[in-house]
Amino acid sequence: MTTRITRRELLQRSAAGGVVLTLPGLLAACGGGGGGGGGGGGLKDVLNFSNWELYIDVPSTRKAAGLTGPTTLDQFTAKTGIKVNYYEDVNDNPGYFAKVQGRLSRGQGIDRDIIVSTDNDRFLGEYISNDWALKLDKSLIPNISNLVDAQASPPFDPTREYTLPWFSGMDGIAWNEDLTGPVTTVTQLLEDPKLKGRVGVWNSMGDTLGLIMLENGDDPAKVTDATFDRALAVVQKAQDAGQIRRFYGNDYAQPLATGDLAASMAWSGDIFALQVPKVKWGIAEKGGIIWTDNMVIPLGGSVPTASTYMNFVYDPKISAQLALGGGYMVAVKGVREEAAKLDPNAADNTLVFPTDEMFSQMHQNDPTMFSNPEYEKRWLAVQGK
Amino acid sequence: MGSFFHRHRGVTPYLLLAPGILWLGIFFVIPMGFLGYQSLQSGLFPHFEFTWEFSNFSNAVTDYHEQLIRSFVYAGLATVACLVLAYPLAYWIAFRAGPWRNLFLLFIIAPFFVTYLVRTLAWLNILADRGPVVGLLRDLHILGPDGRLLATTFAVLSGITYNFFPFMALPLYVSLEQIDERLLEAAKDLYASSTKAFLRVTLPLSAPGIVAGTLLTFIPAAGDFINAALLGTPNQAMIGNVIQAKFLESLDYPTAASLSFILMGTILVGLLVYARVVGPERLTG
Amino acid sequence: MNTAWRLTKRHALTAYAFLAVAYLMLPIVVVILFSFNAPKGRFNYIWEGFTFDNWIHWDAILGIRSAVITSIEIGILSTLVATVLGTLIALAIVRHRFVGHSTTNILVFLPMTAPEIVLGASLLTLFLNTTAVFQLGFGTIFIAHVMFIISFIVVTVKARLIGLDRHLEEAAMDLGANELTTFRKVTLPLLAPAMLAAALLGFALSIDDFVITYLNAGSTQTFPIFVWGIARVAVPPQVNVVASAIFLIAIAIGLGNVAWQYRTAKRTQGAV
Repeated sequence: MTTRITRRELLQRSAAGGVVLTLPGLLAACGGGGGGGGGGGGLKDVLNFSNWELYIDVPSTRKAAGLTGPTTLDQFTAKTGIKVNYYEDVNDNPGYFAKVQGRLSRGQGIDRDIIVSTDNDRFLGEYISNDWALKLDKSLIPNISNLVDAQASPPFDPTREYTLPWFSGMDGIAWNEDLTGPVTTVTQLLEDPKLKGRVGVWNSMGDTLGLIMLENGDDPAKVTDATFDRALAVVQKAQDAGQIRRFYGNDYAQPLATGDLAASMAWSGDIFALQVPKVKWGIAEKGGIIWTDNMVIPLGGSVPTASTYMNFVYDPKISAQLALGGGYMVAVKGVREEAAKLDPNAADNTLVFPTDEMFSQMHQNDPTMFSNPEYEKRWLAVQGK
Repeated sequence: MGSFFHRHRGVTPYLLLAPGILWLGIFFVIPMGFLGYQSLQSGLFPHFEFTWEFSNFSNAVTDYHEQLIRSFVYAGLATVACLVLAYPLAYWIAFRAGPWRNLFLLFIIAPFFVTYLVRTLAWLNILADRGPVVGLLRDLHILGPDGRLLATTFAVLSGITYNFFPFMALPLYVSLEQIDERLLEAAKDLYASSTKAFLRVTLPLSAPGIVAGTLLTFIPAAGDFINAALLGTPNQAMIGNVIQAKFLESLDYPTAASLSFILMGTILVGLLVYARVVGPERLTG
Repeated sequence: MNTAWRLTKRHALTAYAFLAVAYLMLPIVVVILFSFNAPKGRFNYIWEGFTFDNWIHWDAILGIRSAVITSIEIGILSTLVATVLGTLIALAIVRHRFVGHSTTNILVFLPMTAPEIVLGASLLTLFLNTTAVFQLGFGTIFIAHVMFIISFIVVTVKARLIGLDRHLEEAAMDLGANELTTFRKVTLPLLAPAMLAAALLGFALSIDDFVITYLNAGSTQTFPIFVWGIARVAVPPQVNVVASAIFLIAIAIGLGNVAWQYRTAKRTQGAV
């Protein structure tokens, strides 16, 4: 127990300002780390990284994207000598949170240096507000200057002390060309009688209500009781009218492909991965929500090791490979140019490399909406829960 | 060895029970104790406090009795459907399949070695609006021109029935298989028709199987959430969905815990009533 | 007329049996079919072309091989242990009167009544409070699976035990066998079909469990955890391949059993 506290304090101190620590103290607390580099000690020779499945470049996706050479994880090991244990055990945010909250709330580590959680629900904020996340060592992340401006100051972490984006996606509307012409507004989606009973929305509050708030002319980044009521009323009306077929997680892709859904709220990445030509996707007229999976250092993680890795992936050359091999948007400046060098065609894929205009249409959720128990209860009630 | 058991007769049941009950005691009862503790807490995550909050239970019933009732109705309907569909199949395997019986048992259960999500994706393909099944039903005017099978109560019930089918079929088979065919022959020799022989001999002798199958189907089905989650709309939400949401998304552990106990308690009460109705010896022998 | 009616009834039942099996098999046929699909994208939702590639490179997806091996290992292990423990409990409940009989009866039913999410979460809490003894991983998954399978075993075996004719056992003992020998040579073989059926149910429960396993697995992945995890971003045909393979192997074992039954029957016939 004493060792753990000392180690935790050590990590926090080293994260807080790159304080040079005495060597004997380091060795005693950290059991002797490997690897070199960077100021401050505690750099380990192993990085434990929990991520979603199929969320990084692997040999097969690299080949499909025309990339040669080792994966980005192997490149990291070659460059720093730090081996990466990569775990694809994040299934969804609530489930993963349920898995780890027991240990974190007891002040225990979870054998991970980096985990990934999305900002379109409450759980990312919970890690931070409950002091279960460790501060990044920005002295080890000079590439943080490559973070795109739009992501520099998110509401849940305004000064980027704890998180850095991994991948992002856009909320928009998808439709099946065989069944309907383009569906371009949320109002059309939720009120066009021709689509009745064949419309999908998410069971995720931030995404669904966020899009509706934009349609209502309200700001999803600043939710008030009034704007919430207005948005919820729209959903309730559509549900009562039988417009909405079901509330979906990410399982709307199959019904869209088979034609059970004529149109649905959809995530850009899913439609790209679906590769069914008749299923089209677009940003709604009044704008969309951008969601971002963020890297977080949980309690017990090694801040220097995690920060070193984050610095590595914020190099546009590496980031471009991640985007091409992973198939999702990254938040790094200059990534489109680097990708064009690797594969000129792929760089034109606006779902992975959105234009500035598309970026300007994107908004973020208000995290206070997620932790409001009243809102939570009423949102579940609309779904019969 | 044998004489040891003979002399210490009273010890035998406890020896038989010990390993299993110990396992359940440690890995079920103790966790349930903790769940009980949680059900009387109040507050918001992660700062829960134990305050003997019995109102959790009354609030839970007030707020979610609709889903509770619906869960029991769905579980009941699915159980009856399973019984009707599985009994003839179990009968055929027990009496007619001969050396092929174990193969057919596997035909019943092996589909359920395939992961639930993979099975359900296949059903979603088969029963899709523009698929062959719905098309046929629309042509036969069983479904309206805009009718659908998925995202309906029918879909959820079918999902529960399909996925619990072996839990009814296998116990039925187990009970039918041990019926001595000579009893049936004797009945026929005494001029009973096949129907009468079935009703007077086979059916009563298979009663333990019917009871077992009913329990193994109804009890877990009442707490099911996944079929309603993937195949249903808000109008089909079951209590399992509520508990799931309260626990995972709302982080409202006290409500989730108290709802769970309400579900478990109601099932237990139903079990006691059922035992009274069918006769306690059917449940315990 | 009577003969015709009897013939129709006989065949009607067989026809129904085959129809029922067809109903159970219907989605599996689609699963097997789609394992040969060649989707362009990451999702295996609509038919796009035939290929053997998925079967040849069945473990092309990182993690799928270890996940399915873990699932099968846990399935076999937990089913074996649960079948033994559950059968013992069933014997005690049906054959004996003892203090705590009804309590035991109720206790056995309870795990079935608890929703999986709270069952899994509470068990996790137990493990987190006893980290000196229990490390999250294979062992804790095994423990959890045995725990929730036992109830199903007990209920299934009881169904057989309740109607079991004691006369055979009494006869054996009259002929001089002691209790243990009687149990081994008479009771156990009579119970065997029930134990087999119960074990099959138990294995199905174990190999398909997601919620309880996910919460208590630590970093270990079982096949359902793998499938649900990957489903967010893809449904690769390899998932269908593995699922189909598990099913086909089970059926192959069944066919093997049929062949073995025929051979044993021939042998006993020959002996007569």
